[in-house]
Amino acid sequence: MKNFIKLLVVSAVLAVGEGKAQMPHDAIYMSKGSVCVAAMYGKSTWTDYWENSLKRSNSNIGRHTTQNVMLMPAIGITNRLNVILSLPYVWTETSAGNLLGQKGLQDLSGWLKYRILKTHGFSLHAVAGASLPVGNYVPDFLPMSIGLQCRTVSGRLIANYKHPKTGLYLNAHGTYLWRSNIKVDRDAYQADGRVYNTDEVSVPNAYDAGLRLGILRKKWQTEFWAERSSCTHGDYIRRHDMPFPTNNMQATTVGWYGKVQPKNIGVNARVGYVTDGRNVGQSTSFTVGVLYLFTL
Amino acid sequence: MKIYINRLKGAIGVFATVAVLTSCDKTIEEPQRVGYAPASVDEKAGSWKTYQLTSATEIAVAAPKAVSSPEYVAELASLKQKSASLTKEQQEAVVYWGAGAVYRWNEIARELAARYNIPPAYNAEGKYPVPDAANPLADPKFPFANPPYASRALAYLSVAQYDALVAAWNYKYQFKRAAPSKTDATIRVALPVSSIPTYPSEDAVVAAASVTILKAMFPGEVPYLEARMKEHRESRLWAGMNVESDLVAGVDLGNVVAAKVMGRARTDGMAAANNQTLTAGMIEKAKERGLREAWVSQELPLRPPMLPNYGAVLPWNYTKADLEKLRAVPPPALDSPAFQKDLEELQTIQKNQTREQARIANYWADGAGSYTPPGHWHRTAANVSHEARHSEVRMARTLALLGTAEMDAAITCWDSKYYYYYPRPQQFKVKTSVGLPNFPSYTSGHSTFSGAAATVLGYLFPDQAETFTKQAQEASVSRIYGLIHYRFDCEAGLKAGNEVGNYAIARAKADGSGL
Repeated sequence: MKNFIKLLVVSAVLAVGEGKAQMPHDAIYMSKGSVCVAAMYGKSTWTDYWENSLKRSNSNIGRHTTQNVMLMPAIGITNRLNVILSLPYVWTETSAGNLLGQKGLQDLSGWLKYRILKTHGFSLHAVAGASLPVGNYVPDFLPMSIGLQCRTVSGRLIANYKHPKTGLYLNAHGTYLWRSNIKVDRDAYQADGRVYNTDEVSVPNAYDAGLRLGILRKKWQTEFWAERSSCTHGDYIRRHDMPFPTNNMQATTVGWYGKVQPKNIGVNARVGYVTDGRNVGQSTSFTVGVLYLFTL
Repeated sequence: MKIYINRLKGAIGVFATVAVLTSCDKTIEEPQRVGYAPASVDEKAGSWKTYQLTSATEIAVAAPKAVSSPEYVAELASLKQKSASLTKEQQEAVVYWGAGAVYRWNEIARELAARYNIPPAYNAEGKYPVPDAANPLADPKFPFANPPYASRALAYLSVAQYDALVAAWNYKYQFKRAAPSKTDATIRVALPVSSIPTYPSEDAVVAAASVTILKAMFPGEVPYLEARMKEHRESRLWAGMNVESDLVAGVDLGNVVAAKVMGRARTDGMAAANNQTLTAGMIEKAKERGLREAWVSQELPLRPPMLPNYGAVLPWNYTKADLEKLRAVPPPALDSPAFQKDLEELQTIQKNQTREQARIANYWADGAGSYTPPGHWHRTAANVSHEARHSEVRMARTLALLGTAEMDAAITCWDSKYYYYYPRPQQFKVKTSVGLPNFPSYTSGHSTFSGAAATVLGYLFPDQAETFTKQAQEASVSRIYGLIHYRFDCEAGLKAGNEVGNYAIARAKADGSGL
């Protein structure tokens, strides 16, 4: 255990100051009237993907890359109620084949994070989230599409224990994501082994659960995490066919997150790797961000 | 602690509100089709010209028992009992099949086409196994229902339905057995009853003919097709529309007619359509005619081109001699300004494809996993025929004229494609927003299918001719917007399609229907 903690510590960049940047899944809050804006760049690539349960590569895709830049402000409404917003610009490409990359503004997301209770290092949090597509991108040209055009609402519970002295914490969360039906450009499509003679597509709801172990100090944070996400139902990628928004996309992802914010300005980084999945790419992803903290 | 519980309650309240706000109905609303009494009973349809039957009387149908016979009285009593009270499932089956026999079996065929429309995956040796009709559910599934395959399956389906219905109409008006509910008014009917005689049953004729064709075209779906047919047949009893002997006579007639139609299918040249040994000679000849750079597959590993000898399949409405007349004029040379101009158009769109261009490209894409462009036009034809409240035999005529024209369109288009062996824009670094078909560029298949369909449907539904023409033009340019065809591919395809459609119209004018 001691070595593990050491590993966590070593994996963070040491600095002094106040660690403040927060995410919709952590137990960190901006104090009333303070705002932290994160400007982030992310890149996710895969060469193998799961065609239903068959793991395969595709020489007509090669390496698939999704990149994004994103602004993500977190605002302290009160010391225990925060608002977080994000709006990414996303673009996709492949290293082989002839599928045209897609690009554009994706979805505006917002979360309300509320600390329900806090006692003896233990805390419980509720997060309500929602998202709206901003760009008029094509949702069913997968895997090139930059999003699914769903309107979503999510509910999340977070349980967190932080050892007061060391800053060592254990965090678990569960989320349920409601996703609206979408419209596609075509007026017939195949899903669930049949043809739907309409342009309306039912996108399955989804859920996720995560476990995080890390250290949070005033000026820095380091954490290892694992997440499992899945749709509640859905069909699968047919043999040698393309994905579709009705697919039951599932992934188990492990990764590391770290942050250093000595003063008003800080940086964060996140890496993730999909270890198992269905109807998704086995992606390796990273995000780096610059954080800027100010008070209103 | 109490305060925490209150907060927890508050949080749960928020979640509950959120859940209520978003637990809106996610069921998909599809346009529903319901049955109707036809606008015209087409009582002379027994004299319409058939495709494969020499005449409407070629297949004999025994005279039915008189309505006063004990056998028929017993049948009525049985029908009365079967239709008296229905379960929810039976009611749903009645409504579903009541929309129309030709309508539903065309829809089923399109769905099968979509389910089988996936190109084989390459194997570990980098080869693409050829689908095997003897082992249809193995990987890759048989068939690969690509556009030429789908056009052919739908053509034979529609021809079999039409020939069987013309024969059925002949016997209906020869024997003039009225609907069961007209003989016994106490029979509960669940669908509109017309004056069309019910022996043999048009539903049974269509179901049997359709299943015979579709079993041959989709041999992995035999149990599925038999289950659908059983339900269709029973729905006629549940609906109080046909007695058992109406159905038996219809099934027998439909089976025999469809078997005759399948006789043509077995010898129409489809078996040699995927003859890959011919391509080297095709390329050589195209080069002799001045082609600088031949089409090559843009997939890795290189995929053999789709059905290179489909142009040699037997057409319906024109002769083999006409095929040469229908062949497109030579495309622009690859170093000509005309080629450069149309390539530059694609390069410009690739840089800044508008959302409207993407929408049009996606709407008409009908690519892998779809019922293909011929399926798209069958759907349109079935819907307009349904909206016009056509009788079964008239809807079958519409779909046979359209279906044969679509297969003819595939034949002339594939003839031009492998005659010219012209490279795709992707050989000049153009990408695609709809997926790239694996065969030569010139001429555009979508344009040919759509030109033929719009011409035929415009003749059959003159008040909607302008709409069909606009749709065909949009389908044609959609392939430019999707970046997989030069404009000259599309223009030549549309022109050939119109000419193919005119051959079907010539047949329609001479089929004795007077329509």
